[in-house]
Formats: sequence, C-alpha cells, structure tokens
Amino acid sequence: MVEDKILVWKFNRGSKDALRRIYEKYKDDLLGLAITLLRDRSVAEDIVHDVFVSFAQTTGTYHLSGTLKGYLSTCVANRARDRNRLRSGQDAGLDVVEVVGSNSDGPMEHAIGSEESGRLKDLLDRLPYEQREVIVLHLHHGIRFREIAGALGISINTVQSRYRYGLDKLRSILNSVVTK
Amino acid sequence: MRPKENIEKFVRVGKPRVTTSRQMDKRTLDDSFEAMEQTIRTKSADHKPSVPRIIFQSRMIKLTATAAVIIVAIGLISLFVHQGPDEQIGYDQSPTKMMSAISLTMAYRRGGIDTLDEQCEKAIRMLGPRPLHLTLGQLLSENNG
Repeated sequence: MVEDKILVWKFNRGSKDALRRIYEKYKDDLLGLAITLLRDRSVAEDIVHDVFVSFAQTTGTYHLSGTLKGYLSTCVANRARDRNRLRSGQDAGLDVVEVVGSNSDGPMEHAIGSEESGRLKDLLDRLPYEQREVIVLHLHHGIRFREIAGALGISINTVQSRYRYGLDKLRSILNSVVTK
Repeated sequence: MRPKENIEKFVRVGKPRVTTSRQMDKRTLDDSFEAMEQTIRTKSADHKPSVPRIIFQSRMIKLTATAAVIIVAIGLISLFVHQGPDEQIGYDQSPTKMMSAISLTMAYRRGGIDTLDEQCEKAIRMLGPRPLHLTLGQLLSENNG
C-alpha cells in the first residue's frame, strides 16, 4: 500500500519507471481478471492495454483513493463489461486461456491446482456475466463489495445479492456434478 | 452439499495464474509511455504562468487577496457612512456661497440658529484674516448688496 502510494507519487511527476513498476506489478492479475470475465485472451490483452494507456494519460492528476489494484481491476471490469455488451448475441469467442498454474507450489499441488482452475473456469462460464464479475472481483482480487458497487454504479445490496446468487448457483452446479 | 465457505475457498484456490506475453508487455508499455509523454507535453503547453492562475493556485496569495478586498470594501463603506449630510454641505463650498441668503436659510432650516452660526464661522475661517486695507463694511458689501 505504501509502495503503491510512492509509485503513484512518482507517476504523477512523470516517472516512466514508476509506470513500468505499476504495470509489472499488476499486469498478470489484470490479464487473469479480463480472461476470466471475457474468456478470450486476445480481447483481454487489448483491454489491459487500453486500461494502462488510459491510466498513463492521468499522470499529474491521478488521485489514489482506495487501493491501486482495486482501481485498475475495476477499470478492467468496466471495459470488459462494455466489450461483453458489444459482442452479446455473438459467440463467446475462442477459448484460448493460458492457465500456467494455481497459487500452490510443488508438482502435485500444481497438478491439483491446474485441475481446480480448469474446473472453476468451466463452472464460472456457466454463471451469468454479472454474477461472475462480482465473484471474481471479490474472491480473486480482494475488492470489497462497497468498492465494486461504486465502480459498477450499482447499490451494495445488488452486489451482495449477485454474489450470493452466484455462489448458490455454483454450489448447485457442483452438487449436480457430484450426484451424477 | 458444500457450505458457503467451502465454495468461496474453492473459487479462491482456483484462481488462474496467467502471464502476459513479451509482445503484449512491449506494446502496452510503449503505448503507455507515449500517452504519458503526450499528456505531459499538453499540460506544459497549457500551463503558461498568468497572474490569475498564480493567485488561484496558491492558498496564501488567495487569502491575502481576499483580505485586501475585504479591507478596501470596509474602508469604502465606512467612508460613506461617516460622511453625513451636514458635512457634505458647506465644506466643499466657497465662503461666498456659504454666506449667500439661500445657503444661510438652508442652514437655519437644518439646525436652527446654532447651525447658522456654525456655518458663518466656517465661512469666516475659510476667508482667513481680513486684509488691513479693507473695512468690514466693504467686506460684507457683496452680501449686503
């Protein structure tokens, strides 16, 4: 958090090195978020690119309120939602997600983690976009409901109900898979 | 049936680890640096120093300017408040006008014999000491006709 504040301070004074550090720090997380939301790597890369270019244009005026990760994540989520609206009605696109591994270490954990990631991806794909968005932002990126509500322009109750319904649906899908 | 916490843990653990490609890094950073430079160039072109900009950017100067305006306003108000109708009449007039029949009548109407007397004294003070070669009759001959 303190590191982010220092980076933002330098960034506002036109430091390219600070911008590079911010990019290096959050690029993988943001790309993962965009891929999870859109299921299309090339579109996800475009979105992360656009978010950073827009962020670079705020140099000198950017004011950090909340966390930098939360800000960038909600920017990605907003652009992903716009892109999703544009292509709604069309096919979801090629599924070329490159999952390198999960957060666990070791070969066995890596294998289990990859399997879990693959299963989770399949499950999340079956959720409505709005529910998937809230679940991923909250559980994968640690963004609080209040921040999500502010970024999406909806009430906190709506965010919480989307989250709850999404988890219920995931549970029911998992239960049906287990009983088969 | 998985409880809510298990589902949350399942989702957290299954977070995909994705890495960006070198091409993407290069493209994004190059474009971001270009956008940043463009923004800085535009801002420095817009930021020509001007007096109003300096005033509005510095809190200290803003406060000082506000205080100066208030002081000037108070000064002007007090000047008008203290300048009563009695003082406006007489001081800026010549002694001849002050001693005219109309002016003396007005003075009498304003404040009676005291005001009339005061106006006469003021007129005499403004005239200064009587020249030695003039008699009092000659001096007042203009007023008396």
